Amino acid sequence: MEIRIKSVSKDFFSEGKTIKALSDIDLAIPANQIFTLLGPSGCGKTTLLRCIVGLETPDSGEIAIGEEIVYSKEKNIFVPPEKRGLSMVFQTYAIWPHMTVFDNVAYPLQTRKEAKDEIRSKVEKTLRFVQLEGLENRPATKLSGGQQQRVALARALVPEPKVILFDEPLSNLDAKLREETRKELRSFLTELKITAVYVTHDRIEALSLSDAIAVMKDGQMVEIGTPKKIYFDSDHRFVADFIGRANLINGKVIAFEDSYTVVDSSMGTIACQKNPHASVGDAVTLCIRPEFIKVMEQHTSEDRNIFRGKVESLLFIGDAYEGEVIIADTRLIIRIEPTTIVEEGDEVSLSFDPDHCFLLSK
Amino acid sequence: MFSTRTALTPSLIVIVGFLTVCPVVMLVLGSFSEGIGAFGKFTLEKYIQSYTDPAFAGIIVNTVIFTIGSGFVATLLALFLAYLNTRTNIPFKFLFRIISIIPMMIPHILFSVSWVLLLNPSNGMINLLLKQIFNLENSPFNIYTLGGMILVEGLLDLPIAYLILAPAMAAFDVSLEESSKVSGASNLRTLTRVTLPVLRPAILASFILVIVRSLASFAVPSIIGMPGRIYVLATHIYRIIATGFAADYGMAAAVGMSALAASIALIYLYRYLTSESEKYVTISSRGYRPSLIELKKAKYPLFAIVGLLSFVLIVLPVLVLFYTSLVPYSMVPDARAFSMMNWKHWLDVLKDPISLLSLKNSVFLGIVGATLGVILSIFVSYVIVKVRTRAAGLLESISFLSFSFPGIVIGVGFMWFFVRTPLYATIWSLLIGYIATYLPYGIRPLTSAFIQIHSHLEESSRVCGGGTLYTLRRIVIPLLIPGVVSGWILMATMFVRELTLSVVLSRPGTEVLAVQILRFAEDGLWGKLSALGIMMICISTIIVVIASLIGMKMTRVQETD
Repeated sequence: MEIRIKSVSKDFFSEGKTIKALSDIDLAIPANQIFTLLGPSGCGKTTLLRCIVGLETPDSGEIAIGEEIVYSKEKNIFVPPEKRGLSMVFQTYAIWPHMTVFDNVAYPLQTRKEAKDEIRSKVEKTLRFVQLEGLENRPATKLSGGQQQRVALARALVPEPKVILFDEPLSNLDAKLREETRKELRSFLTELKITAVYVTHDRIEALSLSDAIAVMKDGQMVEIGTPKKIYFDSDHRFVADFIGRANLINGKVIAFEDSYTVVDSSMGTIACQKNPHASVGDAVTLCIRPEFIKVMEQHTSEDRNIFRGKVESLLFIGDAYEGEVIIADTRLIIRIEPTTIVEEGDEVSLSFDPDHCFLLSK
Repeated sequence: MFSTRTALTPSLIVIVGFLTVCPVVMLVLGSFSEGIGAFGKFTLEKYIQSYTDPAFAGIIVNTVIFTIGSGFVATLLALFLAYLNTRTNIPFKFLFRIISIIPMMIPHILFSVSWVLLLNPSNGMINLLLKQIFNLENSPFNIYTLGGMILVEGLLDLPIAYLILAPAMAAFDVSLEESSKVSGASNLRTLTRVTLPVLRPAILASFILVIVRSLASFAVPSIIGMPGRIYVLATHIYRIIATGFAADYGMAAAVGMSALAASIALIYLYRYLTSESEKYVTISSRGYRPSLIELKKAKYPLFAIVGLLSFVLIVLPVLVLFYTSLVPYSMVPDARAFSMMNWKHWLDVLKDPISLLSLKNSVFLGIVGATLGVILSIFVSYVIVKVRTRAAGLLESISFLSFSFPGIVIGVGFMWFFVRTPLYATIWSLLIGYIATYLPYGIRPLTSAFIQIHSHLEESSRVCGGGTLYTLRRIVIPLLIPGVVSGWILMATMFVRELTLSVVLSRPGTEVLAVQILRFAEDGLWGKLSALGIMMICISTIIVVIASLIGMKMTRVQETD
């Protein structure tokens, strides 16, 4: 089911100060996709999620889920959360400690007063789906963190909702379990064809799970796009920096060639992706990701984007070296294959493909 | 919904403010008034009269020796026990939990009486026994001394000191000691330079809290101190209002002011120290279990000391009382004593109308008072935990205001108030006084229950389709029940045994158990006293058992629902 959000704003008051949690958000979340709200803490992503589910009331605007308007300032509509027919997985899982696994999962069906047999068969089916069969009569608090997370997911799935909301559901798991759960969650959600709105501050989670990502900052929507678009071709300095390690270089557009834009910077002349919005003389910021910068073993005939610099530091991080190279006054972060023979203080030649270097317009 | 919510905090502030601020204000005003009938007529006469009394200096000296002495006894014993439990491989560690909890179940007045029955100079059982064995002229022990008071009060406050010291000791990071030893320091140097300084805030906090408690204590000073004519502040106040020709509540208030001032100063010191000790605790790494010290040969001798302490704290008082309730007069337990045992004292008590009235009153106050007190505590805790505005902060501080004020002083303050109302000399005046003074016992367990109900647990129920009432019924109330039950039990047991407030507020017709026991003690009717005392312990126990069963039943129903 599609979710439409029209000019939604919300302020919080804390210690005499007004904080704009959401300012004039417009957003359309397409049906049957995994849509992620990504941003640093305090950017308003959780507030937006809570407005959708009805645990928070916006100050203005309109929210519609499918055909139904669930909130409208103008029309004076507010549908309480229990009437919105959504499911949500909380960051703390919100597993009720006084109930068994079965009762936790059965709860949404019990609120609708469904028949007991019906409830039992649905709960059992869902528990099988999340691989918790046999644990029905355990007290929910006796489960491990990962299992509790599955109970929370089962509880969200059991009423077969059209939309599931996730509020940083993986942040309480340890790193290894988080990776596994991420993969599983992706396969559950694509299998069930449900609209999922997923809030996180973890860029890897956002990139690997989502069909689309909306990046938020200070209560505003900064950029919306597919994970690849956001990672490789963002328009915003903030987004490019937030979504991954990035070298951001300031420069000035000096020329256009057939397929490149040529930019003058403190490290020299750089050829980069063509950008229709830039014109000669513009001050711009370039973004180049560390993994696209190569250390050249020998000289090639290639003459574009080749720079000589000195290796300032080198950090072995297992699957690669993370190095810092100084070129003129510019410090570049690079990722070097672990097999490369390089040492701190070496002079190296670096090169990168102009197609992997993009201009940030904002 | 919103209007009721916004009205909740102010109305609670009014109710709790009345309960806790009123007696203090009345005490201050009363101390400057000419008399209970001439309230508000300003005079300094009561202060001059009480503080120029030549006996007053002696009372202050007694009070200082008594409180500091009890502080030392309780803290040193607790330090010893906490160290053995958390840092050594002493056997039967469950005993330590029992030592820290059970003595709170035995009313202080009965504990004091049992020591009088053992060690009083004229017919204390141990004295009689020793005289018989060694053919002594005089009794070797006299409980009616400052030393006796300190010993008994120290034992009574041992659980409190232990509950402060044991967690601090358990949280102590042993690597601090290890790094000292690695740096070349000897064991002794490590103890004095590292271990004790790190634990110092906790040790001082326990010491201060015991001083506050013994300053407020009335059972030991009245049962053990007064027969030996050793008066401390609490019994001095009692003497002013309860003995002599005319009760002078103005003078009682004036004297009470110094007890109040001392308590407030000590509580501030205590709060400062506990925040200091928390600062230290955060240093330790979580989940780290310190390695236990192998006691080797000392293991069983040390355990024998612990066993003896638990016997003295838990078994002995009940045993002595039960024995005394069955024998016709104080005698050494021998064949003759056992042959003379009968239920006469029990029957006498059951035929005594005042004892029966006091039983009825105490049970009423316990059940009704605890119920009302818990209802009030639920609302107050809700505001403290969930509302968290500045007004909620105010509510929290006034709720805990009277916590450690001496009960007899609060009683005098309430007296100045109740005399002006139709509540005077009714059971309701006791009820109000009890709830005011013991409100924190209800609030503590309920705030922790509310803290446990993370807002997500309610929100999640709403999202799952549960409306406000459904959520309240299925989520909030079941999660609150354990807190409600323990708050109720704490309040009910406190109320059934209440002494210090009651000695001021109780009047003919509103006698309560502890006051009746004090009367028996004053008249030396030890047999009847013991019978009534055992009944009191039984009633408390029955109330606790029934309440826990109900609590268990209510939570179990929820699970299988």
